[in-house]
Amino acid sequence: MLQAYWYITKMRLITSLTYRFEVFASVGTNLILMLASVFLWKAAYGNGTEQVQALTLQDLTTYTILSIMLASVFVCDVQDTIYSKIREGQIVTDFYRPIPLLACYLADDIGGMLSSMVNKVIPLFIFAALFFGVPWPASPLSFLLFIPSCLLSYAILWLLSALIGLIAFWVMELGNMGMVKDSIVRVLSGSIVPLWFFPESIQTISKFLPFQYTYQTPLGIYIGNIGVREGLMAMGIQLIWVVLLYVLLAAGWRRSKSKTLIQGG
Amino acid sequence: MVNTIRHYFSVAACFARLAVQRQLEYPLFLFSWLLMIPIQYFSGIWMLKIIVDRFQPLNGWDFPELAFLYGLGLLSHGILVVLFINTWHIDNMVIQGAFDRLLLRPMNVFFQLIASYVNFIGLIDLIPGLIIFIYGCQLVGFEWTLGNIIKLLLVLLGGVLIRASLFISLGTIAFWTKRNASMVGFTLSMLERGTMYPLSIYPYVLQVIFTFIIPIGFISFYPAAEFLGKGSESFQLPLNFALATPAVGLVCFMLSQWIFRRGMKSYESAGS
Repeated sequence: MLQAYWYITKMRLITSLTYRFEVFASVGTNLILMLASVFLWKAAYGNGTEQVQALTLQDLTTYTILSIMLASVFVCDVQDTIYSKIREGQIVTDFYRPIPLLACYLADDIGGMLSSMVNKVIPLFIFAALFFGVPWPASPLSFLLFIPSCLLSYAILWLLSALIGLIAFWVMELGNMGMVKDSIVRVLSGSIVPLWFFPESIQTISKFLPFQYTYQTPLGIYIGNIGVREGLMAMGIQLIWVVLLYVLLAAGWRRSKSKTLIQGG
Repeated sequence: MVNTIRHYFSVAACFARLAVQRQLEYPLFLFSWLLMIPIQYFSGIWMLKIIVDRFQPLNGWDFPELAFLYGLGLLSHGILVVLFINTWHIDNMVIQGAFDRLLLRPMNVFFQLIASYVNFIGLIDLIPGLIIFIYGCQLVGFEWTLGNIIKLLLVLLGGVLIRASLFISLGTIAFWTKRNASMVGFTLSMLERGTMYPLSIYPYVLQVIFTFIIPIGFISFYPAAEFLGKGSESFQLPLNFALATPAVGLVCFMLSQWIFRRGMKSYESAGS
C-alpha cells in the first residue's frame, strides 16, 4: 500500500529534478525576495534602534530567511492538480486507482517537497549564509520544536489548498481562486511581516484564524520569540486546526465525488 | 502612409474586440483577479505602513512618500500589463508555432505581437495603482499644476517603456532557448521590489546596477525623489529626472527593438 504512494512521490521527485533551468530561476526569484526583505528590515532598524518588541534585527533577518525557505518547501499543488484534472477530464482515470485519490495527490506534493529541499532550500541557505551569516536557531531545543511545528504547518496549508481545490468540482471554472487564497495566507500568516507588529485588533482576530499557525508559529519558535511552553501550546492549536480542516475536507470530498461531472470524452 | 496607419488601426481595433470577448468568456477568472490583485497590492502598502509605524521612516522616506513611490511604480506596471502582456508569453508562442503565424502576415511582427492581445483584465492592476497613487499625492500635498501633470505623464511613459524593453529583451531569449517563463517571473519580482521600495535601502552595488545597467531606478524612484524634492543620498546625477525617465525609456526601447530584430533573424520554428 505504502509502496504505491512512495512510487508517486519518487516519480514526482525525479521529474522535478529534471527541470534545471526552472530551478535556477526559482532560486533567483526567492533570492531577490529574501534580499529585498532583509534590506527593508535593515532600513527599518536604521541607525541606533536596538530592539522593537523584543526583536532584534538579527531575529528578523533569520525570520525572513527561514520564511522564504519554508515557502519554497511547502509545495501545495493540490488545488491546481484537482482543477486541471477536472478541466481536462483526467479525474476519471484517477478515480480508477485502487487507492484514495487525495492521498495520491499528497504523495505527489511530498515528492515536490523533497525535491525542493534538495534543489531550492540548499542553494538558498548557502546564499543566505554567505550574505547575512548562518541563520542559527535560538537554541537546540527550539530547533527540535521547530521541525514538528513545520509539519503541522504544512498539514494546515495542504488541507486549505485541497479545500479550495474541491470548489472546482462545483464550479468547473475555478479561475485563480487558489491565488486569492495564497495572497491572503501570505499576509495573515506573518510570512512577510510578523503579526506581532500588526495592530492589536488584527492580532486578536487572527488568533481565531488558521493562518498565523502556518508561518508565524514555527518561525517564532525557531527564533526563540515563542518560548517552549507557548510553543507547545501553539502546536496544540495547530493540531486542532489540522483535525478541524481534515474533518471538513473529508465531508466535502465525499459530497463532491458524487458531483463529479466529466467533461470531454 | 495614411492608408497604412488606418489599416494598422483597424487591425488593432479588431484584435482588441476579440481579446475582450475572449476574456469575458470566463467570468470567474475575472472575478478571481478582481479579488486577488487589490488584495496583493493593498496588503503590500499596508505592510509598509505597519513597518514605518512600528519602526521609523525608511532611509528618510516616511509613509506618505512611500505611498507616492509605490503608487507611481504600480501605475506604470498596470499600463504595461494592459498593453505589453504578450511579451511575457513569447516562449509559448514559439513552442506552439503561433509565432509562425505572425511571420506569415504582411504586417510588422512586433506590432502584431503587441496588438493581438490587449489585456483589459490588466486594468484591474490600475485600480489599486490609482487609488494608492492619489492617496499618496494627497498625503504629500502633490500640486496638480499643468507642469507637474506633463512631467508625470512623461515619467509614466518612460517607466512603461523601460519595463516593456526589459520584457521584450527577455522574450527574445525564447527565440534561442524556447523557454523563458521562469525568467519572466524573476524579472517581475525584481521590478516589484526595485520600484516599490526606495532604491536607497539597497546596498551601493545594487543601486549602481539598477541605475546604469538595468535602469529600473528611473521607473519610479528617481522621479519620485525629484517630485518630492528629496536629494537621493547615494547619487547626485546632474539631471532633471522627470526628463531623464522618458529619455532612458526611449533608449531602452530602441535597444530592445534592435535585440528583437536580431532574435528574429535567428528564429527557427519549433512547430512541425
